[in-house]
Amino acid sequence: MTTVKPILLAEDNPRDAELAMAAMEEQHIADKVVLCHDGAEVLDYLYCRGQFTSRLKGNPAVVFLDLKMPKVNGLEVLRAIKSDAALKPIPVVMLTSSREERDLSESYSLGANAYVVKPVEFHQFVSAVKELGMFWGVINEPPPERPESGR
Amino acid sequence: MATASTSQPELSHSPPREPESPLVRTLALRREPFWRSPILWFRTLTIERRILAGFSLVFVGILIISTVSYRNTSLVVANSKLDTRSHELIRLLANIDATLDEAENNHRRYLITGELSYLEAYRRVVEQKPNFMQYLDNLTEGSPEQQRRIDLLEPLIDRQLAAEADALDQLASHGFQAVMKMALEGAAKEELRDIHRLIAEMEMSEQQALQRRILVSAFTTTRTILLLGFGALLQLVLLAAVYYLIRHDITERRRVAAELQRRGELLEAANKELESFSYSVSHDLRAPLRHIDGYASLLRKAVTESLNEKASRYLQTISDSAKQMGQLIDDLLVFSRMGRQEMLQTTVNLDQLVKTVLYDLRLDLQGREISWTIEQLPEVPGDPAMLRQVFMNLIANAVKFTSTRPVAKIEIGIDRRLPREVVLFVRDNGVGFDMQYAGKLFGVFQRLHRADEFEGTGIGLANVRRIVHRHGGRTWAEGEPDKGATFYVALPTRRPRT
Repeated sequence: MTTVKPILLAEDNPRDAELAMAAMEEQHIADKVVLCHDGAEVLDYLYCRGQFTSRLKGNPAVVFLDLKMPKVNGLEVLRAIKSDAALKPIPVVMLTSSREERDLSESYSLGANAYVVKPVEFHQFVSAVKELGMFWGVINEPPPERPESGR
Repeated sequence: MATASTSQPELSHSPPREPESPLVRTLALRREPFWRSPILWFRTLTIERRILAGFSLVFVGILIISTVSYRNTSLVVANSKLDTRSHELIRLLANIDATLDEAENNHRRYLITGELSYLEAYRRVVEQKPNFMQYLDNLTEGSPEQQRRIDLLEPLIDRQLAAEADALDQLASHGFQAVMKMALEGAAKEELRDIHRLIAEMEMSEQQALQRRILVSAFTTTRTILLLGFGALLQLVLLAAVYYLIRHDITERRRVAAELQRRGELLEAANKELESFSYSVSHDLRAPLRHIDGYASLLRKAVTESLNEKASRYLQTISDSAKQMGQLIDDLLVFSRMGRQEMLQTTVNLDQLVKTVLYDLRLDLQGREISWTIEQLPEVPGDPAMLRQVFMNLIANAVKFTSTRPVAKIEIGIDRRLPREVVLFVRDNGVGFDMQYAGKLFGVFQRLHRADEFEGTGIGLANVRRIVHRHGGRTWAEGEPDKGATFYVALPTRRPRT
């Protein structure tokens, strides 16, 4: 069965989240987006625990990760995803304000699939989020679900 | 230190000894006490020279002690040789004395008894006399007093022997009666007494000399021992002073090294803090700006029908300001990164570098008429990315500030080529600047033009200066309002040692 895979957006800042959702809405993919408010929630979602215990099984189409988040930060989430064989295939896109070389190189060395710096300008931000949502959520063919990964 | 310095007054100074006029005396009064000057001199020396001076003193001290000890010991050894000779002389004198006595006695016996065997001793004396006189002469060599006595002794012995020979002649020619008569007259008695007296005198004199020499030797030996003892003590003190100096030096160096390390650690900590600060700035300051612009846009969209022109302009200004602040933050971050980023140490081909910069600027060059003059540029040691930023900023500036010219002229070249330094320049015929503001050009956020004339954040030239300084170079600029400007970058041709 080919259910539409959700887009996981990790964003601790409600305003950023709202702006991102506004952008997704323009692209009519907002209903696919699952919003997590920190890194711990992302991991809860991926491992079907906590508030996500009863969610539909299956990995998301893509994870948009903010770097700086409370509890578990983006890099830690990234490390957790890429070091778990079942989660490793999930595309992870870093979506952050930081242009620091250190963050870039660390993200890529941990296995991030893309790194996008949030533009200050709203139009650019909107087009970036729209394109990202479009590409990773619709155009890109996600990795096949392995039978043993019952998550 | 004080020990070492007080022990070396002989090295540098002796008080003035010329006849003193009142003027000289007042001068002398005004001077430091003479023993102070070596201390003052010593204080001017570096620690290495102080240690060297200390060791030199020890060396000179050892030399003096060795020389004096050697001389003293030689004297004692020479004296002991002289002593052996004196003892020999005394023995010889006693011998001569006894032999002469025996010869005289046996001679008399012969005269009385006519027994020939009694003449043996006499004959032996006559025979041996030149030998022992020669021996005496040898033993008293170098002692004029004793030699003079020998000169007196020899004729006496000769006369004595002559008298005895005379007696033998008398016996042979006139018989025993004549000899007896001679004896009664006291012949040769005088001589023998004089001989005894002279020999006793010589003996006495030699004994006295011996005694004197023993005293001298004892004194010299004592003096040598004292000198060695005192010298050793002085050397010890000097060595202790030198040791103190060296230890002081080492302690000082260690302290400085520890201090340097401490400061390095502090600096590193401060740097880390700055890094995390700028990281926060990069991340956290941008978010609200994004929200301002974002919500302004959302607002515009939400009220788009009822928005009048004025309200629309206000919203636009909000957005523009947010964008401008975003640009400022980005520029500031680049500036801060240029200051702390690890520098790459390679050779940079400036020719190639300028070409890539012009390629990167191609969008800005569209629709512009610019006449370029670009000299052949050299290779310099440095960080390619940083130097690229320098020329990017300078050339972009030249392009920007000539935008009001129908035909812009931009020249990139070398002003001076020295073995240690090349001076590069970027010259334009743009709006230029007043030289009285030249000092402000390279400051952070310093702008000489209004924002609506030429856009920019005012960080470009600050970056240029920071990068060039990190390369060990210099920057400056010349300009004239409405005529153009020239920006100079002097870069060392050798790698800076930092």
